Amino acid sequence: MLEKILNWLTLRPLRMRILRRKFLKCLESEIAEEFLEMLLRFMSLAFLLDRDFRRNIEDFNGRYLFRSRDNSITVAVVFKDNRMKVYEKNLEDTNVTVTFRNGKALMGYLLSPKPDILGSLLRQDVTFNGNLNYVYKFAYMAKRLQLMATGEI
Amino acid sequence: MSKVTLKDIRLREYTLENLGLLGRLRKDLMRTRPEVCIERARHTTRYLRDLSSDDEPMETRYAKAVAYFLSKKAPLFFDDNLLAGTTTSKPFGAPVYQELTGMTIWPELDTISTRGKNPLILSREDAEELNFEIFPYWMERNILEYTRKKHNNPGCMRLFERIVFFLASKAGTISHTVPDYRKVLAKGIEGIIEEAAAREEDVRRKGADTPDNRHSIEFYQAVQIVMKGVLEYAANLSRRAEELAAAETDPARRENLLRMSETCARVPAKPARTFREALNSLWICQVAVHAENINMAMSPGRLDQVLYDYYRRDIDSGTLTVGEAIELVGCLWLKLNDNTNLVPETSEELFGGAGTVPAVTVGGVDENGEDAVNDLTYIMLRVTELLKLRDPSVNARYHYEKNTEEYRDRVAEVIVNTKAVPAFHNDVVDIKVLENQGTSTEHARDYAVIGCVELASAGRSYDASSSIIFNLVSALELAMYNGKRPATGDEQIGPQTGDPAGFSTFEEFWEAFKTQLKWLIGEAIKLNEYFGRAHQEMLPTPLLSAFFEGPMEKGRDLIRGGALYNSSGATHIGFADTVDSLSAIEKAVFMDRKCTFAELLTALRDDFRGHEKLHAYLVYKTPKYGTDDPIAVKNSRNLIRFLYDFYQGHTNYRGGRYRPGYWTMTNHAGQGKLSGALPNGRKAHKVFASGITPASQAAGDLSACLKAVGGLDGLCIPSGEALNLKYPHVNGNGDIKTFAQAVESYFRYGGLHVQFNIMSYEELIDAKKNPEKYPELLVRVSGYSAYFKDLNEAMKDEIITRTAYDLGTGRAVPFPEEYRSMLAYE
Repeated sequence: MLEKILNWLTLRPLRMRILRRKFLKCLESEIAEEFLEMLLRFMSLAFLLDRDFRRNIEDFNGRYLFRSRDNSITVAVVFKDNRMKVYEKNLEDTNVTVTFRNGKALMGYLLSPKPDILGSLLRQDVTFNGNLNYVYKFAYMAKRLQLMATGEI
Repeated sequence: MSKVTLKDIRLREYTLENLGLLGRLRKDLMRTRPEVCIERARHTTRYLRDLSSDDEPMETRYAKAVAYFLSKKAPLFFDDNLLAGTTTSKPFGAPVYQELTGMTIWPELDTISTRGKNPLILSREDAEELNFEIFPYWMERNILEYTRKKHNNPGCMRLFERIVFFLASKAGTISHTVPDYRKVLAKGIEGIIEEAAAREEDVRRKGADTPDNRHSIEFYQAVQIVMKGVLEYAANLSRRAEELAAAETDPARRENLLRMSETCARVPAKPARTFREALNSLWICQVAVHAENINMAMSPGRLDQVLYDYYRRDIDSGTLTVGEAIELVGCLWLKLNDNTNLVPETSEELFGGAGTVPAVTVGGVDENGEDAVNDLTYIMLRVTELLKLRDPSVNARYHYEKNTEEYRDRVAEVIVNTKAVPAFHNDVVDIKVLENQGTSTEHARDYAVIGCVELASAGRSYDASSSIIFNLVSALELAMYNGKRPATGDEQIGPQTGDPAGFSTFEEFWEAFKTQLKWLIGEAIKLNEYFGRAHQEMLPTPLLSAFFEGPMEKGRDLIRGGALYNSSGATHIGFADTVDSLSAIEKAVFMDRKCTFAELLTALRDDFRGHEKLHAYLVYKTPKYGTDDPIAVKNSRNLIRFLYDFYQGHTNYRGGRYRPGYWTMTNHAGQGKLSGALPNGRKAHKVFASGITPASQAAGDLSACLKAVGGLDGLCIPSGEALNLKYPHVNGNGDIKTFAQAVESYFRYGGLHVQFNIMSYEELIDAKKNPEKYPELLVRVSGYSAYFKDLNEAMKDEIITRTAYDLGTGRAVPFPEEYRSMLAYE
């Protein structure tokens, strides 16, 4: 009950609808420069609003660093105490560091229903340093979010 | 004295029409869609997470986890098969081995049922259980991450994860071996438990105060624990069959269920007495082996030898007919198809289409060197011919001095009738190869094929034959680009061996190439050793160990070197393309001076666009492996020799030597798609040639091709080779004779293995265009069989473009003009 009131007071459902639209627009765009930002904002809010989705981070501790190859984007994501926190800074002691060529490449890796796997490998679009199981878990959550956004789940 | 008493070795009177059961079961199998089965992941995780302690020795703890799973494993009877036991809880299941590579499907849990390539049904509930309950426990515990953490993400692991240099199979498997089922058939699981208990007592008497003795005690305890799990599973099968029989109204079904109930009440606990008991005992043990170890090339071995005494006894006593034996063997063949691999979509795109490749071996000679072909050999050939299944991967041994021509021709006939199986193996050379590796003559003669083409003294030798899958082209490119590869950009990967533009002789380039090979293979071996040690610490194999000669005697798990013989296998991708590229460099740059090395590299970078004249020269005027050109012959032999010497200089974590082989499964297609243009004229991202087969369309004369491949020193190929040949058609007995004679000639030249696709370019092109017309088209890939429709596009192209030979003339059949763009050099 308290959660519902809090959600209503902070306009989370409305923000979720707006973010969902932006996220879907981003998925359809050719450049998808803002993909990571959109994904993380949408994911953050989804964890707050959707109890089922939140189960994914219950008792989960994970430290991720997402970095564009040209170093123009550096985003740290920390899952702790059933919360997701995002920082625009470097992070030490990560479980995994994900380096990507650009937003489109990262999106293609995480979400594309027909990923250009060969092309992605050839171009080294996305590379990882660290525990791959953390990547798999994050990719699962991102995919789930996409399916929620498109109404497929 | 010949053991063949059949009046008609072709067994023509037995057909799928009059063997109604096999026909029905086959039809059901073909229309059953594969499903992900989480039963094993659920129970082993529950045991390790909730019911055991990290303080317990891993040997007994893991044995208890497997025993727990076996005791909980559902006793299921999906159809009217005469044998009880299922690999998974689904009619056609893909088990999850979460401690190996099972977690790679995590991102696909919501989409795996609908993915484009080879989808696997996964229920919502099972997906949630994997996501919330099972996978989180294993995040730091699977073999890959355990190893990474222990060795601080070593460079060799990062190289492996680039995919384009080598693959380290141990991240995903303890497999590729041939257990000894003779032992369990003869003494039963209870006998094995008694033996382990007695041996444990012996060691205890000596004292448990040394680490070796402590480990031995733990090992013997683990064997007893895990074997009791097998007994529980068999008992559950027996009880369930009895329950189902009580409720069954169909008399034939009821009778079958009752017989299965009786059978499982007896075996595998006790020695098998009948052919049916032997088959069911063996099958339950195969199921149990997969409860512990992944379903990849766990090969049942020489079944015509292992099961012969049971067959003969029943036939002689009149309790079994040939027709019933065919039906029972057919049931085993179908059971071996009840499971498939669980792989993510990326792997399907790059390497997809493989079965689980449990290899069955028939024919050849016995341990005394005499003709071993018997009635059961022909029964197994007939079953293979009738069922035309992807698995088991059937391999026919042929000893041209001991086996009859009749047998040889019959194997050829089955290949023609199935269009693909079995594969032919050369007993004369294979036995010498194993002897040269230190295997005793008796044991070498009793070899069986592992998975694709690798050789093992059955039940005595743990060869982990797929430990390293090495891309030879990557080393070639590192030499061409001074330690870099186009696929990995400007990153310095290998040692700087110099800009080849500055080399004045081919020998300088050859030295640079060898330096890169040594460095890269060294990294692959280093990683394999890390994984091997991790397996020793994390994933012991007491169950599999009990089905081997050695571990029980030594008191040591298979993974700790318990087997009588040990080795690790490394197979190689891109052999023909590498040899042809070496020869092209030697001829074009250093002999004919058609171009400088710098000009060659420019042409490669441009994928030959604007360099058409040079390209034509490289394709048509440089020496090709598979012909009698002396440069090609020299380079192919030098490479084989160099790799053999280098690998054999390395000893693995179990005390065995590394063995090179040349079979590629589907990796040559995937790796080809990831590689740039090559000096032999192959264009960028086109497939490589398969196995040890000459590049497609490069060897125009069959006889020269067989001489060239057969002329490679077989002793230097101890982990096996796959030669893929294609005939558009083989018509009538005359052609079959010619076909079989060609195989024998090749074996007399020294070839180890050959497999065939009997189909034309046009038929395969049509099958690619219209998959619905060819739902069951079986093809040989590079060591195993696959349904053509399941292969990825690159692999289909590779099979289509393989050189087809006219059996009459021995010349290559021209490739259809309108499809030339499919060829690697077009």
